[in-house]
Amino acid sequence: MSLDKVTEIIAKFAKCRAEDIKPESELAALGLTSLDTITVLFEFEEAFDIEIPNEVIPSIVTVRDILEKMSAI
Amino acid sequence: MNKHRVVVTGLGTVSGPGLNTAEFWDALKAGRSAIQPLNPPVEKVKISSAAAVPEYVPENYFSPSDLSILDRFSQLAVIAAREAAADAGLNCGNEMLTNAAALIGSGCGGKHTDEATYDQLYKQQRSRAHPLTIPKGMPSAAASMVSYHLGIKGPTFALASACASGAHAIIQGMTMIKSGMIDVALAGATDAPFTYGLLKSWEALRVVSDDTCRPFCADRSGLVLGEGAGILLLESEQHAIARNARIYAELAGCGMTSDAGHVTRPDIKGITNAMKNALHHAGLSPDDVDYINAHGTGTQLNDVTETEAIKQVFGEYARKLAVSSTKSMHGHALGASSALELAATVLAIHHDIIPPTANFTVADELCDLDYVPNKARQQEVNVAMSNAFAFGGLNAVLVLKKYA
Repeated sequence: MSLDKVTEIIAKFAKCRAEDIKPESELAALGLTSLDTITVLFEFEEAFDIEIPNEVIPSIVTVRDILEKMSAI
Repeated sequence: MNKHRVVVTGLGTVSGPGLNTAEFWDALKAGRSAIQPLNPPVEKVKISSAAAVPEYVPENYFSPSDLSILDRFSQLAVIAAREAAADAGLNCGNEMLTNAAALIGSGCGGKHTDEATYDQLYKQQRSRAHPLTIPKGMPSAAASMVSYHLGIKGPTFALASACASGAHAIIQGMTMIKSGMIDVALAGATDAPFTYGLLKSWEALRVVSDDTCRPFCADRSGLVLGEGAGILLLESEQHAIARNARIYAELAGCGMTSDAGHVTRPDIKGITNAMKNALHHAGLSPDDVDYINAHGTGTQLNDVTETEAIKQVFGEYARKLAVSSTKSMHGHALGASSALELAATVLAIHHDIIPPTANFTVADELCDLDYVPNKARQQEVNVAMSNAFAFGGLNAVLVLKKYA
């Protein structure tokens, strides 16, 4: 899973320009609500045919967190 | 001036006849039916006619992110609500609208969303539903979306009473304004029923016509489904006068009953009582009424029962009444139908034009009133009644008056 792919999916929901999405960006700061974040995770599950457990979700704060958590699954 | 009088100052419609109220009224006064072959035909569905909303580009009305959470029934509601508010001269952000109520009924809710999800889960065997399935498909989604898109922060909820949902929502708005709780309400209903499961379910009831809707005719063959939304902007007379609003008509009274009887066969006592209660509530006599916009579904049972009920309520005067069914033109848009019919009734009073019963051939011998066949009639309309008799025996009747 690449940072580009993560950025591409987040950009669909972020309330900022795609180039402003950095690995250290917090999802909330990008304008994502908790419902947006869950929808982003759904898109990852669909795109990569994975199951993201509920207990992972509280630890996802930044873009990098998504990349790392997804890579670990 | 009485703050407890309720007037209609804005109309919004999306329906088979058109994407706005000007198109809706042009079609109705021309007697032009929007019923057409179901397009595209749905495989394994026998229903072949429909009054579908004309094709429109959702992106012309909503942003992509907004569309992700807008079921079709919510889209139609928001488009109609925006029109009603603008027609009344109120825009999003106006404090009068911010404090308003949004009361949006629906007969079937977010069926497009629900059925797409079931198709993915049951048929395609996918393992997960989209996270927005619940907020997009819930029966109150359209009410929420009207609130969201118009900046309404007053009382907002959905009402459901099958084909009377719109009438009940408008009565709810009227009652809240009469009580002094609110000054302004957007009230009506929305339905988008052209989904595979719902079409098959209506097919199973064997009440849908193979070709078109001919209310009160000897050769009538059933109802034709429609889709759309009808939203009325209601306000207290005092509020409307204070802001110099254009007043279309006064909501003078309402009557609501339930049959506690058969689930699909209308009960003559239930519907006559609803009409009588509405007249009583309005403080009017039967012979004050000029026009009835009938429930007029075009089914065997409804049209005979409704005709007999009108004769029981109005006596000999029933022969002098104009009675028409605009479902012959906008189809039976379920919960939205009663709201669209209210809009048609308001316009009949405003323009002194009675929309006809389209597709009219020869009257059933048991349907012997003046159904205004095929051609609109220029006639003074001071008082009009709109009937809605829903499956499950839920009846709602509104009486409107020319504002004076």
